[in-house]
Amino acid sequence: MREVELYFGPQHLGMVGNFSITLKVEGDRILEATSNPGYLHRGFEKLMEYRTWIQNFPLVCRINVVEPDHMEMVYAMAVEKLANIEVPERAHWIRSIYLELARVGSHLFGLWAYSNMLGFDTVAQWAMYHRDLILDLFEELTGGRVYHIYIWPGGVRRDFPDGFANKIVKTLHSIGKCVPDYDDTFFNNPLFYERAHDIGKITQEEAKEWGGVGQVLRATGVPYDIRKVEPYAAYNKVDFKIPTREEGDAYSRIWVIRDELIESVHLIFKLLDNLPEGEVYNRVPNPFKWRVPKGEAYVRVESSRGELGLYMVSNGEDKPYRVHFRTPSYPHGLTILEKVLKGASIADVGNAMISLYVVAPEIDR
Amino acid sequence: MNKKLAEELELTFKDIEVSTPEDTKIEIFAHKAQAITILRFLKDKGYNHLALISCVDWIEKAEFELVYILTPYLQDYEAYKKLGDIHLKIRISRENPETGTVISIFPNAEPYEREIHELFGIKFAGHPRLTHLLLERDYEIPPFRKDFDTREYVEDVFGSIPPIKEEEE
Repeated sequence: MREVELYFGPQHLGMVGNFSITLKVEGDRILEATSNPGYLHRGFEKLMEYRTWIQNFPLVCRINVVEPDHMEMVYAMAVEKLANIEVPERAHWIRSIYLELARVGSHLFGLWAYSNMLGFDTVAQWAMYHRDLILDLFEELTGGRVYHIYIWPGGVRRDFPDGFANKIVKTLHSIGKCVPDYDDTFFNNPLFYERAHDIGKITQEEAKEWGGVGQVLRATGVPYDIRKVEPYAAYNKVDFKIPTREEGDAYSRIWVIRDELIESVHLIFKLLDNLPEGEVYNRVPNPFKWRVPKGEAYVRVESSRGELGLYMVSNGEDKPYRVHFRTPSYPHGLTILEKVLKGASIADVGNAMISLYVVAPEIDR
Repeated sequence: MNKKLAEELELTFKDIEVSTPEDTKIEIFAHKAQAITILRFLKDKGYNHLALISCVDWIEKAEFELVYILTPYLQDYEAYKKLGDIHLKIRISRENPETGTVISIFPNAEPYEREIHELFGIKFAGHPRLTHLLLERDYEIPPFRKDFDTREYVEDVFGSIPPIKEEEE
């Protein structure tokens, strides 16, 4: 049979985001897949070298459109580590609640993308609606729906407004009430199993070898989570579980996402119950004259997609010398995706890619 | 454990500088030819996760610094405290920016090296495809080098579009 080169994306119905894959196919079997990122490359890391430490926040949160909050967190953590800034206890707890809310919103968005791709339009609409409720919470807290710039070096920008904790609980309860509906329509639906099992399957050894993190690794049975490995914010003060599965295919990855979603909601309740009183912000020097001491730092957090790291170098100036983000989609979209698509069918490309939870802006930066 | 590994590294490899700036961090300065054997040694010691390969352009010293950040795949803080992270640093001269690839040890190094080749112009000998990753064309100076002036570039490329003239009637 004749070999044909096929361009999959960036304008494609089965594709979410600005990303394309070049496929070499024979019939509908894929012989070779090549990821083509770069459609959203804005050179943020270079631009950050021209802006002061605080001015970089609006760039940082735009690196990942779906969950800008973990990006803020990792940047703030790096600056705090370099400049040796303490964060008040209450700010740690608020950060954790805020980041878990972001995780819930991001997973709902991911669920939208995945169910939409499979043709479960009803579930997709529910997920999008429920994510919107989370965005309403963010709007009340920070003034922005998508980009919040809430976490700053030294703490968070403002305390929770009056009655905000109750609103979080109420919103999460109204989403939680729909979990049986989600389960009946989607997760326990045989159609979902038929479409997703054995798609993009990798073993535990392969996942480790290819740099997998997050759900990709947890779906192969490794409970690797930065919140446990190197705790930050208030994660070492509350107890929570890391959901895992054994199979390592698209089906188990989506199930891990579902379980994590529920675990995150429980975690928010636990954090809200024990939220300490106090200040939420330690003053930092005047941002226009702020010179961060010389040094380098590598910090990491668990974003909703996996290990998100930031390597930052300061040479004692008012701007960073080098900023490099290690985003979880990078190994997933560029290494693992290419490997799992070899031998797959054209119909499964979108399925494999979205189940690997690849977000293109995160790769391009 | 941290200190023990640092000592072992110094004994095994010649001419490397090992320091432990933090409890959970070992910093190694090595010659670029040693990088691959050190990485192999560390992977066998349990540092099986290459988190990042980064590059810093130290233009005043006329050198690039490649930073390999290694962490182990572990499950809790107690285990992590014993091992910690490793930052392996190698310096490459700006005149002849070339080093060897480490894909044979860490397959996920492939896109990182491709990106550094594209953005900093460092060649990785033995890399199977040093093609464009994020950009679409070659630049005279690779754009993430410190002597590439973003503002001047914007001026040159976008400032030269002629303004639209309003038609007079």
